[in-house]
Amino acid sequence: MKALTELFSKLVDKIRGVEYIDEATLQEIAREIQRTLLKADVPLDLVKTFTDNAVKRIREEKPPAGIPPREYLIYVLYEELVKLMGGEQPAEFKPTKKPYIVLLLGVEGSGKTTTSAKLARYLMKRGYKVGMVETDTIRPAAFDQLKQLAEKIGAPFYGERDGKDAVEIARRGVTNLKGVDVLIIDTAGRHRNEEALLQEVKAIYDAVNPDEVVLVVDATVGKLAAAQAEAFMKYLPIHTVIITKMDSTARGGGALAAVAKTGARVKFIGVGEDVEELEPFNPRKFVARLLGMGDLDALLEKI
Amino acid sequence: MFNRLKKAFSKFVESVVSTVKEDTLSEKDVNEVISNLYFDLIENDVAVEVADAVTEELKKRLIGVKVPRFGDKEAVVKKAVLEALIGVLSDVPDVDFYQDSKNRLETSRPVTVMFLGPNGYGKTTTLAKLAYHLQERGFRVVAAAADTFRAGAREQLEEHGRRVGFRVIGGSYGADPASVAYDAVQHARSKGFHYVLIDTAGRMHTDANLMEELRKIQRVVEPQYSIFVFDAQLGNEALEIARYYSKYVKIDGMIAAKVDAYPKGGSILTFLYTLKRPVYFLGVGQSYKDLVQFTKQEYVSQLLT
Ligand SMILES: Nc1nc2c(ncn2[C@@H]2O[C@H](COP(=O)(O)OP(=O)(O)OP(=O)(O)O)[C@@H](O)[C@H]2O)c(=O)[nH]1
Ligand SMILES: Nc1nc2c(ncn2[C@@H]2O[C@H](COP(=O)(O)OP(=O)(O)OP(=O)(O)O)[C@@H](O)[C@H]2O)c(=O)[nH]1
Ligand SMILES: [Mg+2]
Ligand SMILES: [Mg+2]
Repeated sequence: MKALTELFSKLVDKIRGVEYIDEATLQEIAREIQRTLLKADVPLDLVKTFTDNAVKRIREEKPPAGIPPREYLIYVLYEELVKLMGGEQPAEFKPTKKPYIVLLLGVEGSGKTTTSAKLARYLMKRGYKVGMVETDTIRPAAFDQLKQLAEKIGAPFYGERDGKDAVEIARRGVTNLKGVDVLIIDTAGRHRNEEALLQEVKAIYDAVNPDEVVLVVDATVGKLAAAQAEAFMKYLPIHTVIITKMDSTARGGGALAAVAKTGARVKFIGVGEDVEELEPFNPRKFVARLLGMGDLDALLEKI
Repeated sequence: MFNRLKKAFSKFVESVVSTVKEDTLSEKDVNEVISNLYFDLIENDVAVEVADAVTEELKKRLIGVKVPRFGDKEAVVKKAVLEALIGVLSDVPDVDFYQDSKNRLETSRPVTVMFLGPNGYGKTTTLAKLAYHLQERGFRVVAAAADTFRAGAREQLEEHGRRVGFRVIGGSYGADPASVAYDAVQHARSKGFHYVLIDTAGRMHTDANLMEELRKIQRVVEPQYSIFVFDAQLGNEALEIARYYSKYVKIDGMIAAKVDAYPKGGSILTFLYTLKRPVYFLGVGQSYKDLVQFTKQEYVSQLLT
């Protein structure tokens, strides 16, 4: 996060430093916005539309009385960034029935298993009884990994150490952990090129009929998130996205923007390896933090 | 592999061919077409600042190149771009890991290989793949479970050991990773193993304490090879990771994992250019055979075929 924030604050400082916003300055600022977004791993097409939109608004809109043009420019930047990251409203995670079945999927190593435990922990702290199922029959000791995490947080667990059939394990998991409020099903990692594995996760989906499908995306791989999400969406719907490893220098901007494009909602970000290190995602707060929070609050109030 | 990056370069060659007016490439010719290449590189996940530097260097190397007015312009331009790109990466050595480490075995046994890198990029799996290939070549291998932190880390390595047939030393959770690694090396020395492969816990480059811990392992065991494992799908983050990691630890070579996930290939260029270290292998799947040797020479010529 830190480097990304630095990047954007530099941009804001630069804007604050200009005297007048004439066409040449605007072009220069547009170029700077472009570079900043590119460094944040936002895909090129999104960067172009974003910059064009922002520049068009600056040209056409009159700042409200008492707001200097450069401050208004920052405000426009803020608004457009919030849009890019998925809109005003933070998306809530709310189990609506019992048991509420959640299916986690994503590419290899993105953080699914860790996130299963984090999400369980988050819900348990809010009074839900949460069970976890491991269906990964591919990665060695995936069973032990989730089992150890389940023990650590005190959640009921179902898995089969030498299981071969992920679909059957999922089915038996649901039967075995009937009494819980929320059931989190972890799956093996798979990517867009692994056809058989994509079929398998579709079969799990058909077998357990989950209420919410969560795609787990690694913030550090940035731009590819969109392609990954789209590939999965050919097989099953994706409702929610959790972005992990935001404690990196996090170019998470790219992943966030890419995900917003697919229509799925980002609900949480992972900010560390510990089971406690999961934060609800709020696009407005996130962008405010990017642009340097304190200042922005005052500005937003004025507008 | 890396088809889109390849396309970016062939587009570049084409546009150079169609803009060149005189019989040498002028600054104007090159400037006209290089900005497209720049955006194509970024689009293909080369980090922005590396794309800056690479296009700048390419430009310098291309200006003044002689292009025949008649005959096969394209072949000449392609060769010039190829040479320029090789020039850009000229201080990256190509190392055949098998041959190089075999040579070392003659003077020092065991050869110690440490795997390091951020979380979930493929260290443990890559270690198991390398163990498999070394054993296929007739060497005896032992592994150190120096990831004493992540849930299931030890069991994961042990299961690989069972499947591939190597022994795993140490690794009770919470133990000091440096002493686990040290013990494994002592064990290997006394039992005559050829290679010790050390698995370490994944860590974010931003976590100074964990990076210090990694440095300590290197200090204690002095591995002949510290191999940095990265996810080939990385974009701009690659540059930050490279910067931080090289500040804390010694990196002798690299392995790019998950190349089968169809990455665009830019991260490899970022790491080669920034760290100036060889990429020994690419990981191209989840089974043990899925580890292929890599040379920058081949990578570059592949981009320009
Ligand atoms: N720093 C950091 N590490 C994380 C975060 N989330 C997960 N990890 C780490 O990333 C690595 C991979 O996490 P896993 O949960 O095993 O990933 P996975 O998607 O289940 O992996 P596969 O099942 O092999 O596909 C582990 O080392 C985790 O501790 C995060 O938010 N920050
Ligand atoms: N498709 C594919 N998957 C890979 C490759 N290399 C590793 N993986 C998968 O990526 C996931 C994470 O791999 P690990 O070897 O556990 O990664 P790690 O770096 O040791 O992870 P931590 O120890 O948690 O930091 C596993 O599901 C592996 O099967 C590869 O080349 N291709
Ligand atoms: Mg997992
Ligand atoms: Mg590991």
